[in-house]
Order: sequence, then structure tokens, then C-alpha cells
Amino acid sequence: MDRPLSPFMFPTWYRFQITSALSILHRLTGIALSLGSIVLAWWLIAVAAGGELFTTTHAVIASPIGLLLLFLWSAAFFYHLCNGVRHLAWDAGYGFEIRQAYLSGYVVLVATAVLTALTWLYVFLA
Amino acid sequence: MADTRSLSNETALRDENVLRHVRQLGSARDGLAEWRLQRRTAIALIPLALYFVASMLRLATSDQPTAAAWLASPVPALFTMLFVLTLLTHAVVGLRSFLMDYVHTRARLVAAELLVRGAAVLLAGASVLAVLKLFLGR
Repeated sequence: MDRPLSPFMFPTWYRFQITSALSILHRLTGIALSLGSIVLAWWLIAVAAGGELFTTTHAVIASPIGLLLLFLWSAAFFYHLCNGVRHLAWDAGYGFEIRQAYLSGYVVLVATAVLTALTWLYVFLA
Repeated sequence: MADTRSLSNETALRDENVLRHVRQLGSARDGLAEWRLQRRTAIALIPLALYFVASMLRLATSDQPTAAAWLASPVPALFTMLFVLTLLTHAVVGLRSFLMDYVHTRARLVAAELLVRGAAVLLAGASVLAVLKLFLGR
């Protein structure tokens, strides 16, 4: 059966739109955050176990790659959180007009940048 | 937008009735239950995730005894466990909807779903065990 399979509309038939890009980004950040749950469980186990496991875990998290991952995860978290609220508003029946959907999309992007920046300012200043 | 809202209000809390009427045309499986589970866990995750992330910021540079003492106290222990379990439930629903859209072979889809569910159960069990160990002080 040769029916078209998702995502056949990309990149041939759809032109770039901020709304569809944000929709895909919601999924990508969701997948990234799901992977983050592995590190979360690992950290909890390391705290419970203590000793060398915690020292190693702490060193990995504090390494440049660890910090880069934490930064990306924090940005993904704030994006998924803000865009998730946008989705919940749609579920409740608000914000479906095209102009509103574009506006809320830009608001989500700005909010993500501001929250991520504030978080890391706090980390480095505190 | 007034039309959308009134329609939404008319169908609110009566999904079961709607589903019964459209059974012939609608989803015959658990689509609606999963849709609701995704929204309920999303709403629960707003306070739970913000609480956990804010706590992590305070613990960011702390040593093991500080982190262990935090996880051993009742409120952080409870909310950390609730956060992990809600997060993993939300992740499984989300990852499944992603897999169902992009994995087109039945056998591969079943295998991928099993892997996601298995990993989630393992992570949930390990996380709860870790928090309980600290909370019970063993």
C-alpha cells in the first residue's frame, strides 16, 4: 500500500512557517527532556549511594560537556513548559486566530530566552 | 473565538457520551484516555517541575550530604517522587505519540513502545528507591 506516510509534507510541500517550526520544536524538546530523565534518575541514585559514585557524577555534571547539556536541557525545559501552556490554552479554546497563534509563538520564544538567561545568571552569580 | 469556547464548554466533562455516540467513526482504542492523561500530567508538571528545578538551582553547587539531607526531608522527598513519576508518565504518552507518527512498521513500533515503557518503569523504580532510601535513612 503506497499511501503517503508522515512527514511527507516536509520539506517539499510546506513552506517554512514559525507555527509549524514551533510545533516540531515542542516534540524535539519533549524527546530531549525524556532523555534527561535518565540523568535525573542517575543523580538521585548517586545522591542515595554517595561515595565515589556521587563524586564521579558531580564531576561529569560540572564538566564543560555536562554544563553544556544542562544549559540545553534548561532551554528545552523552559520552551516545553511555555509552549505546553500555549497548548493547554488551545485545548481550552483560546488563541486559535492565526494572528494570536503567531503572537503567542513569539511570546513563548521570548519567555524561553528570558527564563533561560535568568536561570544561568542566578547560577553564576549566586 | 466565542464559538470555539461555547462548543468547548458544551462538550466539557461529557467526553464519554460523545465517544459512545461516535464509536462507529471515532477511535476504538484508548486515544481519548491518553489525550486526557497527557493534559492532566502536563498541568501537574507545571508546579512539580518548577519546584524541582528551583530546588536544583539552590543545590547546584552543593556536596553530597547537603543534597542527601534535602532529599531525606518529607516535602522534598514526596514532591521529588511525584515529579519523577508524573514526568515519566507524561514522557511515555508523548514518546508513544511521536513513535506512532514516525515508525511505520508494526513490529518496530511494538518493539520501540516496549523499550520506552520498560525504560520508564526502570527509571521510575530506581528513582523512587533512591529517594525512599534517603527518606527512610537506610
